[in-house]
Amino acid sequence: FRFKDSLAEELRSADLVISHAGAGSCLETLEKGKPLIVVINDKLMDNHQLELAKQLHRDGYVLYCNCSTLVETLQSMDLSALKPFPPGQPEKFASFLDKVFGFQ
Amino acid sequence: TGGHTTEILRLLSCLSESYSPRHYVLADSDKMSEAKIRSFEEKRAETFSRSQFTLDRIPRSREVRQSWISSVVTTLYSILYSLPLTYKRKPDLILCNGPGTCVPVCLSAFLLGLLRIKRTVIVYVESICRVETLSLSGKILYYFSDYFIVQWPDLKKKYPKSVYLGRIV
Repeated sequence: FRFKDSLAEELRSADLVISHAGAGSCLETLEKGKPLIVVINDKLMDNHQLELAKQLHRDGYVLYCNCSTLVETLQSMDLSALKPFPPGQPEKFASFLDKVFGFQ
Repeated sequence: TGGHTTEILRLLSCLSESYSPRHYVLADSDKMSEAKIRSFEEKRAETFSRSQFTLDRIPRSREVRQSWISSVVTTLYSILYSLPLTYKRKPDLILCNGPGTCVPVCLSAFLLGLLRIKRTVIVYVESICRVETLSLSGKILYYFSDYFIVQWPDLKKKYPKSVYLGRIV
């Protein structure tokens, strides 16, 4: 399919997700507790996507590779070594803004 | 656009009704964000019945990897739209997280502040994707925002005037 409003259903039934390094895809997958392999697009010049994937990998949440190493990664992966991903805390942002504006 | 919209809606998720009405500004070419925003606001209206929001569009200020010089021109063109819009809405707070669309809006608000027409607090939250480097919008708005929030400690080190609250989306 081209574009769907939400991949939530597909995610729920998946055992493994292979995705590009877009933040939305990564975060949605990690939050649903699914193992994730992030594939970096070598051809995007300003490769800032790499930063998030590298950091998530460094912290032990995802595996990552590029298009040419995907098969190798799939063959040698150990998904049980991946750590559970703690959710972000938008409430901290709300508290911060409340302080700025003097709300409660 | 896409990822930015998802992130910003998460940022909004814990805000009280003091932050109302909400005025969303989108790029004219953005096809997917409107649905996400309406869905978010519909859900919100279930809890907060007096919830209000508006949606406006301005020309997209820059395409991915557009050259520096032509970006200045297209951004100036977007400001022609964002300036009257910002003047009309006179927001107390502008919250943005990095799509090119936020630059003309913030610059318009900054200008209206300089002209003593309306003082707007500009809060910029850099995307969670940005771990080691800032986006182009971030590099610009680091100097124009009142509060510049980053989500990874490396950026706090590199940009000491920023605020680090950890991961907030």
